[in-house]
Amino acid sequence: MSLATDSPVNSSSSDDLAAFLDAELDSNSLGSSPEKEAEDKDEDEESIDEEAENEEARDDKDLERIKRRKTQIVETIQERPGPTLLGNLEEKTDMLYCAEVSLEMDNCPHPGSLGGMCYRCGKRLEEESGVTFSYICKGLRLGNDEIDRLRNTDMKHLLRHRKLYLILDLDHTLLNSTLLLHLTPEEDYLKSQADSLQDVSKGSLFMLAFMNMMTKLRPFVHTFLKEASEMFEMYIYTMGDRPYALEMAKLLDPSREYFNARVISRDDGTQRHQKGLDVVLGQESAVLILDDTENAWTKHRDNLILMERYHFFASSCRQFGYHCQSLSQLRSDESELEGALASVLKVLKRIHNIFFDELANDLAGRDVRQVLKMVRGEVLKGCKLVFSHVFPTKFPADTHYLWKMAEQLGATCSIELDPSVTHVVSTDARTEKSRWAAKEAKFLVDPRWIETANFLWQRQPEENFPVQQTKPEENFHAKQMKDQ
Amino acid sequence: MFFHIVLERNMQLHPRHFGRNLREHIISKLMKDVEGTCSGRHGFVVAITSVENIGKGLIRDGTGFVTFPVKYQCVVFRPFKGEILEAVVSMVNKMGFFAEAGPVQIFVSNHLIPDDMEFQSGDMPNYTTSDGSVKIQKDSEVRLKIIGTRVDATEIDKNISQSRPKWDPAGSHPSRFFCIGTIKDDFLGVINDPTTI
Repeated sequence: MSLATDSPVNSSSSDDLAAFLDAELDSNSLGSSPEKEAEDKDEDEESIDEEAENEEARDDKDLERIKRRKTQIVETIQERPGPTLLGNLEEKTDMLYCAEVSLEMDNCPHPGSLGGMCYRCGKRLEEESGVTFSYICKGLRLGNDEIDRLRNTDMKHLLRHRKLYLILDLDHTLLNSTLLLHLTPEEDYLKSQADSLQDVSKGSLFMLAFMNMMTKLRPFVHTFLKEASEMFEMYIYTMGDRPYALEMAKLLDPSREYFNARVISRDDGTQRHQKGLDVVLGQESAVLILDDTENAWTKHRDNLILMERYHFFASSCRQFGYHCQSLSQLRSDESELEGALASVLKVLKRIHNIFFDELANDLAGRDVRQVLKMVRGEVLKGCKLVFSHVFPTKFPADTHYLWKMAEQLGATCSIELDPSVTHVVSTDARTEKSRWAAKEAKFLVDPRWIETANFLWQRQPEENFPVQQTKPEENFHAKQMKDQ
Repeated sequence: MFFHIVLERNMQLHPRHFGRNLREHIISKLMKDVEGTCSGRHGFVVAITSVENIGKGLIRDGTGFVTFPVKYQCVVFRPFKGEILEAVVSMVNKMGFFAEAGPVQIFVSNHLIPDDMEFQSGDMPNYTTSDGSVKIQKDSEVRLKIIGTRVDATEIDKNISQSRPKWDPAGSHPSRFFCIGTIKDDFLGVINDPTTI
C-alpha cells in the first residue's frame, strides 16, 4: 500500500496559513534551491538545538556560514516555495546576548530559583539549595539571605500600613470538619441543612461531597476575618494537606481578599508534625499565631495565642476523647458574640493598638511578643493563688502547666497560705485549704477558672466555677493524695 | 521565535480507517496528535501547514495496525535566551510576576523589575512607580527579555498531547516551556495598561 505523493496535501484549516506564509517568504526573497534547502534545514536544526554555552567555540564556523548564506540569498533564484527559516537571526542574537550577559552572570549570588533556574541571572543551577516556598509558586526556592531581604522589605511595607502578621490554624480554630462517613445518625439532619456552595460568604455549614466531607465554620468567623484583615496580613497554616487547605480557604475567603496565595499546608513545612515560621515571609517579632495545638509550635510559643478547640461534630469530640454530646448532637453552637473568636479579636485589637500607639520606642524595634506577654499578664493581675488537690503527690508544683499558666496570666502562685492570698484553686471542697478559704472568705475556684481565663483573656466571675463537693466514695482516694 | 519547518512522524493507524478516506484520517489524526504539543528541540507546534509526503505503510505483525511515515510542514514557536517577547501578566506577587506569551510562561523576579517600581499588596497586587505613572498588574502587557529557558524534554511521542506536564508553576497552563525574564533594560516594561483603556 503506497500513499507516496509529490504534491503537498491540502489539509483543511492550515492550508490558508501555509499559503500566507509562503507568500510572505517569497516577497522576502528568502528561499532556496532544493540542494541548498537541505543544507539550510541542517542549519535550522542546529540553530534550534544549540545552547548559548557552546556558542563561542562555534563562532567562526557560524559567521562563515552566515556570510555564505547571504551570498546564496542574493544569487538564488526562487524555484519552488518551500518551508524556510523565518528567524535566521537567532544565532546572532544569542551570541550578542551571551557576551553582554556573561559579565553579570559571573557575580550573581543566586538569591533564589524557580524551576531550577536562578531568577536573577537565568542560569541553570546544578544543586538545589535554600528553603522551598511552593505555596507561593511551585518550584520556588529561596536562599537565606533572600528570605531576610524579603522579610525586611515586607516588614517596612507592612508597618507603613499599620499591619502585623497573623497566622491562622484551620481545624478546631476557624472551623471543624468531619468525614461524611463519621457522621452519627443523630447528625444526619445536618445534611439537609447544609448551605449552598454557590454563595459561601453567607453560610457556615457546607457539604463538600467531592471530598466526602462536611465543614462547619466557627461562629463569628466572617466578622473575625473581616476585622482582623484590617490589622493583619493573614496566613492560613494547617496540618491538613494542600487540596484540603485550598478548599477551606475558598470557604473562608471566596473572593481571595484575605489570604490570596498565603495558604501553607503540611506539604510546605520543613519539619514533620511541626509548624514553623521559617516558611513564613514575615519577621518573627511581628507575627501572632492562633492555633489550638501548642505542641505544633514548640519553637514559637511566644508568638502563640492558644485557642479553645472548636468541636462541632461528634467525630471531632471522639477524636479528642470527649464522651459528651457534641454541639451538633445538641443542635446548638458556640455563642456568636461571646465565643472564642470574638474574645480573641478583642485581644488582637488591644495588641495592635498597644503595638502601634502606646509603645514609645522606634517602630522597627518593637516586638509583638513582648506586647502579647504584657497583655496576657494583665488578665489575672493582682491575684494570689494557692493550689489545693490539683497536683499529684510529690509533683514539683512550679512546673505544673496550671501553675505556669497562672503565672503567665499575671497571677502570683504560692504554696503556703497567708492573708494576702486571694484565691484557692481546688478540686475538692473538703481539703484543709478549701475550708480555710471558706472561713476567710477568699475565692474558692475550680482549676477550669484559670483555663477559661486563659482562653477568653479575661478574669472570669469566680461564682461560675464552684468547687465540686467530692462524693464519699472518692474520699478514700483523696486521702491518699497529699494536700498541697 | 517562530519557525516554519518540516518534521517527520510515524503515524500508527487502525485498520478500520483503510479505505477511501485514508489520507484524511491520517491528516486529521496527525493534527490532533501534534498541534499544541511541545518538544525541547523544536518548541511548540502551533499549526500544521501542509503534509509533504506520506510514505509507504508498514503493516505491524499481529495487530494489523499500519505505520505511515509522514512528512509535514508546521509552524513552531520556541523561546530563546536573549529574545524579546511581548507577554500578558497572569499573576503578581511579592516575589515578582508571571507572564504568558502564548504557551510560554515567564517569571520576572523583583530583582529584574526596575528599582523604582514597588510592590503594592491588596486584592489587585501590582508593581507601581513612586509617582504612580506606570503600573504592572494582572492583564498588563509587558515587553520583556528572556534570560533563561527550561524545557521538560519530552520529545513528541505517542499520545503526549494527552499527558499532563510534570512541572507547571502556576498550575494553569499545560506548558512545558518555562522562562526567566527581565524588564530591567532599555525599552522593556509595560506596553499597555489595562486600567487606562
